[in-house]
Amino acid sequence: MSPSPVRSPAVDAPPAPGGKGRAREDAGSQRSPAEVLGVKGAASFVAPAVGIVGVFLIFPALWTLYLGITNLRLTGLAAAEPQVVGLDNVTQALSDPSFLNALWVTAIFVLGSAVIGQTVLGLGLAWLFRNWHGWGRQALEVLVIFAWIIPGSVVAFLWIAMLDGESGTLNALLPGGVGIEWLLTYPMLSIIVFNIWRGTAFAMLLFGAALNTVPPSHLETARLAGAGAWRQLVDIVLPTIRGHILTALLLVSLWTFNLFTPFLLTRGGPNFQTEVLPIYIYRVAISQGELGFGAAIGAIMLVINLAIALVYIHVLSERAA
Amino acid sequence: MTATTTARRGRIRPSARPPETAVRRRGRAWTVLAWIAAAVFFAPVAWMVLTSLHAEVDAATNPPSLFAPLTLDQYRLLFGRNITPFLVNSLMASVLSTLLVLGLAIPAAYALSIRPVERWRDVMFFFLSTKMLPVIAALLPIYLIVQRLNMLDNVWTLVVLYTAFNLPIALWMMRSFLREVPREILEAAQVDGAGLVTTLRSVVAPVALPGIVATGLICFIFSWNEFLFAVNLTATRAATSPVFLVGFITNEGLFLARLCAAATLVSLPVLIAGWATQDKLVRGLSLGAVE
Repeated sequence: MSPSPVRSPAVDAPPAPGGKGRAREDAGSQRSPAEVLGVKGAASFVAPAVGIVGVFLIFPALWTLYLGITNLRLTGLAAAEPQVVGLDNVTQALSDPSFLNALWVTAIFVLGSAVIGQTVLGLGLAWLFRNWHGWGRQALEVLVIFAWIIPGSVVAFLWIAMLDGESGTLNALLPGGVGIEWLLTYPMLSIIVFNIWRGTAFAMLLFGAALNTVPPSHLETARLAGAGAWRQLVDIVLPTIRGHILTALLLVSLWTFNLFTPFLLTRGGPNFQTEVLPIYIYRVAISQGELGFGAAIGAIMLVINLAIALVYIHVLSERAA
Repeated sequence: MTATTTARRGRIRPSARPPETAVRRRGRAWTVLAWIAAAVFFAPVAWMVLTSLHAEVDAATNPPSLFAPLTLDQYRLLFGRNITPFLVNSLMASVLSTLLVLGLAIPAAYALSIRPVERWRDVMFFFLSTKMLPVIAALLPIYLIVQRLNMLDNVWTLVVLYTAFNLPIALWMMRSFLREVPREILEAAQVDGAGLVTTLRSVVAPVALPGIVATGLICFIFSWNEFLFAVNLTATRAATSPVFLVGFITNEGLFLARLCAAATLVSLPVLIAGWATQDKLVRGLSLGAVE
């Protein structure tokens, strides 16, 4: 396309009713980039993205809410003519021991692997690497990042291979040659450690960036006053990066809460001990075909997610303001 | 590290700093600790790559034999087992969806970064909110829709879905990169009479190019890794490489070296992409929180 003279849809377009959404700052003859693009131009730039997300993410979410109040099944009579059963699914879920079990398991999983494990370890690593610069730091970070970006299917395979009772590397490295079937004996611990290993890189990167925002002069003052690394961390660094810590906590909690990957390690077993909510939904909806009931659990998850998200957005917009 | 310096560390004592040698020694201890920590994270990946280069006999020993002769036999065997179509499917789904995401996200992020829309923040949070949906809950209706459209086991289904999934993150990331384009340059371009297209192509794109590349690579990583939708929406024709890997593990569970080769092959593209985007990864995923 050849360069055209300055065009502006905003100029040709009649002002929107009430002037809402109009470009501001009409000062002088020179127009800002925002004015050149104009409201209509901007809208046409944003609309396709909004459309795609609306059709493929928002619409399914709404449909999930609808499915949740029906008794739809994958097969059989209720597959052809699902009945609206209202909130029956939700009340049924709340009194269902296996749902409550999944909720409890998920809470432990999120608390242990995300809130405590990833956040604390990530902060520790970032703190450890804080004075490093150049290739050394990049090399260290990339080693940690690899654990985080390889496919979940690969990670699951690696952990199964390491934790296996007979041929697992972990047992071989432990003294005494104990043949522990880690995934069967300590299933919850296994998936928690697995998720800590997998997810710490993100917290580390986030905190690494956060630590850069701590003014070096503050640390220097503290150091001259004789404060050791620990006191510097507690008295100066942590209060300064409080916002980042909250952000990291919320994000890793959200991700861990929705994580399906433990399925590849334990399939929710043994005896449902590691059946986190996503795996529970999968079992109920896909394996047992109770789509309506599964969708209702999904809706409950959605509400919990939304609660975490609202806190997060609140924190974020407060910081942006 | 001596006991006295350790004990003093916590206390605030003006003027009394531990002797230089102790400080340096402590620094070295932390350095070693940092490397050990990184090694722990990397060990399983290293084990995987190393085992994939061993013969099956050497891989079976426990603890693993580090110095066994290296061979590419396992990779040869893999291509004999027809891994290629799965890699091609993965490549198609990831590359095409990434291109689509960029095509949609760049204009939208540009419009939102220079803020001609008054409620731009609401739009950004609209996109952010979609990342809060539990994917497993979205799977049920999407499965029903795809089934009804007769699009099961079709790579294009994955292309479209991955585009939608990655769009919000790409948008947040692109916006934070585009905000770095100095306003003065944009204004200067307009004074010179450059139109919108010219401005985007000759002014914005060069400055934002590293950001665009990073965003693209991250979308690529996510699409390549995606498992839940791939395994439920595809069967024989459109299955991607993670799906292949999981099936392969079920079928050939005893052949460790072979499995490691498959796992390495499936990981290789994202390892390269991740290495290339290392410093920008966090920006995409903290959704602008670090700004």
